[in-house]
Amino acid sequence: MPVIAVRDLAKTYSTGAVEVRAVRGVNLDIEAGEFVAVVGPSGSGKSTFMHILGCLDRPTRGSYELEGRDVSRLTRDQLADIRNTKIGFVFQGFNLLARTSALENVELPLLYRGPSVRGAERRRRALAMLDAVGLADRVDHMPNQLSGGQQQRVAIARALVNDPAILLADEPTGNLDSTTSREVLDLFRQLNA
Amino acid sequence: MTLLVTIRVALKALGRNKLRTALTMLGMIIGVAAVITMVALGRGAQQEIETQIQSAGTNLIRVRAGNFRRGGVSMGVGGAPTLTVEDVEAIRREVPGARYLAAGVSTRDQVIAANRNWNTQIEGTDVELPLIRIWDVETGVFFNPSHVRSAAKVAVLGSVVRDNLFGEGADPVGERIRIRNQSFQVLGVMAPKGTGGFGQDQDDTIFVPYTTVQKKLRGRDGTNISGITISADSPDNVNPVADEITAVLRAQHGIPPGEPDDFMVRTQTDITTMRSQMTQTMTGLLAGIAGVSLIVGGIGIMNIMLVSVTERTREIGLRMALGAKGRHVLWQFLVEAIVLSLVGGVVGIGLGFGVSESLTRVLLWPTAFPADAVALAVGFAAAVGIFFGFYPARQAARLDPIDSLRFE
Repeated sequence: MPVIAVRDLAKTYSTGAVEVRAVRGVNLDIEAGEFVAVVGPSGSGKSTFMHILGCLDRPTRGSYELEGRDVSRLTRDQLADIRNTKIGFVFQGFNLLARTSALENVELPLLYRGPSVRGAERRRRALAMLDAVGLADRVDHMPNQLSGGQQQRVAIARALVNDPAILLADEPTGNLDSTTSREVLDLFRQLNA
Repeated sequence: MTLLVTIRVALKALGRNKLRTALTMLGMIIGVAAVITMVALGRGAQQEIETQIQSAGTNLIRVRAGNFRRGGVSMGVGGAPTLTVEDVEAIRREVPGARYLAAGVSTRDQVIAANRNWNTQIEGTDVELPLIRIWDVETGVFFNPSHVRSAAKVAVLGSVVRDNLFGEGADPVGERIRIRNQSFQVLGVMAPKGTGGFGQDQDDTIFVPYTTVQKKLRGRDGTNISGITISADSPDNVNPVADEITAVLRAQHGIPPGEPDDFMVRTQTDITTMRSQMTQTMTGLLAGIAGVSLIVGGIGIMNIMLVSVTERTREIGLRMALGAKGRHVLWQFLVEAIVLSLVGGVVGIGLGFGVSESLTRVLLWPTAFPADAVALAVGFAAAVGIFFGFYPARQAARLDPIDSLRFE
């Protein structure tokens, strides 16, 4: 059974008179352990598609099954739970909380977990994740004290801290220089291995 | 997410912008402090009035001759010659609940001692007055029944009169003073009693036998008196005794049923109630005005919370993307608003306490720390936080994660 099964998925935005068909009938299966890249020119609907896969947005048509469960018609709260436990999302712009330490940023998803995670356990898991992305010596740094690549690694640690079924990254190297981009992509490959 | 975690998240969010947090709280602080100060002042005034009125004497009943409600022409209270010594005797005989009685007739005149003089109240009264007013003689003695019988020219001075005629703290017992060209012997000085229930200085007076005022100081020789001061035997008995006195005096004066009294009976309770009502109205008014500033403080909190929700749209979107549900966001912002108003409220209580204390110290205004108003202010502050925090919090909780993340 594929982790992600998408059938005839479409997303249409209607801004006033103009209808923008961002995603038009995508069919896709992704198995566990696959490493998939979605490529296309700017404005081709990559981000919209990623947002739907990440349960941040809902399709206007078609179905999306995540681990065999149709998630396209769930309530807001159910979607929040899925985002929390099944999906790790890495954004182009890092999206770390300002004036909040790397450790606390990584702990954030654990705060919203269903059966609440105790403080000590939250800390232990966040520290383990930061160690896994090679930032064990930067846990108390604020985002503005970290380089772009380090910030993105904090974001990756945050995406992985709840042990999700899928890790989605929407142009994760878009804000990074080429050397750092390679480091981040290496990290993804390493995590996938 | 437990409440404790929510509170910590909210505190961290508030800590990230300390100046704004402090300014937002300021509205609340000033509002609560104003309410506390106003109520403290009001209570203080009320307590002072109560002690002043109590100092006039306990279980006190006053009968005054004349009644301004009688006839077409107002005679003025105490002005009509309707009370006599026989009335006093009748009350003493027929109202056993009237423990102490003193006939009263007073005048005002210049009092001269050696090279000084002073214009004061000359209160003609009877020997039981110190018992009725619970007022001790500081030095010397009060006059006795034989002085009253013989209309003796003796006087007991209030402490202010003593200070003005003989100098502060002097002992004038045995000295002589002159009133209307007649020589009076000073028997004693009353202990200082302070300001009375209506602001008059109770110590600026001279006590002489009422018979002396009738026969020696007023031109005419008569048995009229202007009032009777009575002490009932127990606080519960004040009103029944007052009623009995009314009945006895109506019988004495032969007033047929349906006709108005030609005298007035007032009890301590009447006076206390009247004055308390006045200050309660004032306190309520002031607290009401102060309450308006509390509401303004609450609106300030709502304003800042709304700005904060807009400003932190991306943060909200991110939290939602990471799995925060609507209620998590709602609680985070609601707790922020409640913390703002509660902390503001507590600081406001401290400030209000400080302000009323310094009013007492510097301006000598009496204040009483109102414990119930403090509880009320804290409750109100929390309520303001919930009320004015709910709308912005709900706005935040309703945001769409993807729109919020794209928000610039």
